[in-house]
Amino acid sequence: METTKKAAVTRRAILAAGSVLAMPGILRAQTADTIKIGFPVPLTGPYGTEAKDQVACAQIAIAEFNAAGGLGGRMAELLVRDDRLDPGEAATRTIELIEKDHANFIVGSLSAAVQLAVNNVAKQRGIIYNSISQSDQIAALPDWSKTTFHEAMTPHLTAGAVGRYAFSHYGKKVVFLQADYAYGHEMVDGFKAVGQSMGIEVLADLRHPLGATDFSTLLPRIQSLKPDILVLANFGRDQQISIKQATDFGLKKTTKIVAPILLYTSRIAAGEKAFEGVVGGSSYYWGIEATTPSAKALNDKYRAANEGRVPSDYGALGYAGVRSLLDAAKRAGSVETDKVIAALEGAKYDSYKGPQEFRACDHQSVQSVLIIESKSGGSSPYDVFNVIGTEAANADNLLSCKDEGHV
Amino acid sequence: MLPPDLVAGCKQHRVLLAIAFLVVFPLLMPFKAIAVNILIYGLFALGFNMLFGTLGLLSFGHAALFGGGAYACGLAMLRLGLPWWAAILCAVVAGMALAASIGAFAIRTRGIYFAMVTLALAQCVYFIFYQWVSLTGGENGLRGITLTDIDLGPIHLNFVDPLTRYYVVAFWVALALIVLSRILASPFGAAMEAVRENEARARACGYDVRATRYLAFILSGGFCGLAGALQALHLSIVPIETLFYTTSGLVVMMALLGGMGTFFGPFVGAGVFLLLENLVSLWTVHWQIFVGASFIACVLFFPRGIWGTILLGRAR
Repeated sequence: METTKKAAVTRRAILAAGSVLAMPGILRAQTADTIKIGFPVPLTGPYGTEAKDQVACAQIAIAEFNAAGGLGGRMAELLVRDDRLDPGEAATRTIELIEKDHANFIVGSLSAAVQLAVNNVAKQRGIIYNSISQSDQIAALPDWSKTTFHEAMTPHLTAGAVGRYAFSHYGKKVVFLQADYAYGHEMVDGFKAVGQSMGIEVLADLRHPLGATDFSTLLPRIQSLKPDILVLANFGRDQQISIKQATDFGLKKTTKIVAPILLYTSRIAAGEKAFEGVVGGSSYYWGIEATTPSAKALNDKYRAANEGRVPSDYGALGYAGVRSLLDAAKRAGSVETDKVIAALEGAKYDSYKGPQEFRACDHQSVQSVLIIESKSGGSSPYDVFNVIGTEAANADNLLSCKDEGHV
Repeated sequence: MLPPDLVAGCKQHRVLLAIAFLVVFPLLMPFKAIAVNILIYGLFALGFNMLFGTLGLLSFGHAALFGGGAYACGLAMLRLGLPWWAAILCAVVAGMALAASIGAFAIRTRGIYFAMVTLALAQCVYFIFYQWVSLTGGENGLRGITLTDIDLGPIHLNFVDPLTRYYVVAFWVALALIVLSRILASPFGAAMEAVRENEARARACGYDVRATRYLAFILSGGFCGLAGALQALHLSIVPIETLFYTTSGLVVMMALLGGMGTFFGPFVGAGVFLLLENLVSLWTVHWQIFVGASFIACVLFFPRGIWGTILLGRAR
């Protein structure tokens, strides 16, 4: 990308130059007609690893777009901001991206609360926002607006797919152990909704506070109930600790452990022993490249740029989130909000995981869900999951637009 | 050295000077949204400082007053359908009411116990709002506090416009400064200082120490509630984190950084803190190290805070 400079050294130029020195490629010198994509993600905080991978993947989408000549010569750039996993900070950063940096689009966030905050700010200013983390509310009224798009899966879809698989393969006697906050509640609701139609028997529905470190009082109780399936509706470190303690306790001998989302990054961090045999859902796993050409293309570009490593599930969403908007801008031949919305609504695409579609009524990306099982003894350090099932993209598995309040 | 007349004049007209500064302030900042943030957190720190600096009571529960005001403003607009200015007044009342109820328990204690009691009660408020999902949105926060158009008779303002938003916020902050200056200059202000300097003596002089503290706590709640309301309108959301104890810690840091017990100090502290955070985090993810190091340096070398040190230097 050509770096242009104004004759006078402005404060902004100095700042930009400083940024370039510190973080090559993240912030480039700004030209008047660059397409700017604001990217607030939690670089610091518990999901820092995932966020950094989202940035790495989003940069691939930007590089692809620019290498292909941009939008009639207009190049794209990514403006990365740290939202600290705090909705207030994310809202402030988004206001700044729109008002100071004049971002054309916003993509990003990695928590339900943060994405709702970013969405609220973006919709008030008529800027398109493509969210890349899970939430049911963002596609539903009153949070949704015509500028709101949702690239990620929803908890309803994820829990439904994992439930349909697990309840038909491992048995009907189920214990839920959920982290006592929105994520846990939404996931368990999703499991129960699908379980009801499949005739499951809920033996217990236990809750633990967010950030729990000791599950030893709950585990004997769970074991005495002799469930076929233990559903762990928790995330991140809670998930790692609870799975590890359940493994040490010997629960896996009698019970299948199921999690709504198995994170690639968590599995890498926790090691193969603790996660072995745990089944969960995922939006993306690099191993699907054997059958999916678009996944192969993303993986190869990522490997080339990142010393042979592979993109994570949430990371790949960073790529897809940016690419969807840039592709739509190309189709629309413009970055004007209304034209890009028209190009996105109902658009069918295959950017990294097979066929997807932005449902016209709520701008939710209709997509496949992977059912994965953690394994040990993989052929490479990245070979950590087996894909044991794929639920193909199907709008019927999502909440209906009517249920979301759309007319 | 400045002539003494001028220094005295500045002191006398500190509110006018502050308002003049508010008018030109956004032009000095890299962008308007950070100027708005500095005003809001400055006002919050000002409310905190009224208790901490003027009365010597260290509260660790001011997040409840700030967040309570923010939620009150948002709920008044969303659930009651009140106009924005009425919602702001609701927030001031809510801040004072919360301060009155927290203060009723906390004011009997002092020192570390006061800090702990306020912290505990503020956490109660946090968990009530966290669990009451149908009213507050729980973990996801309160969303949809959308203020776009302001109609004042024939004048039409667009609140989404950055500069307009700044001046609307600045108007309320200026109002708060006038009220605060009036309180500090009143006999009640003198009574607060007397209690801070020597409680036993103040009591011997006939001041009701407990009533003075209680009233100051309630007034402090009013300022913090106003700051919370402005924050809610500025961000158009109220995150649940607003009520969390880290927000209380933040305001303690800002007040210490600026200079406790000074009139402008809280704004200086908020400004330095937010600018540092904003600018450093643009070029490194390790910005917390820099902010932390600057804070330690300030505490070590400027125990009176930035503004306090400037004032001291001028007085010498």
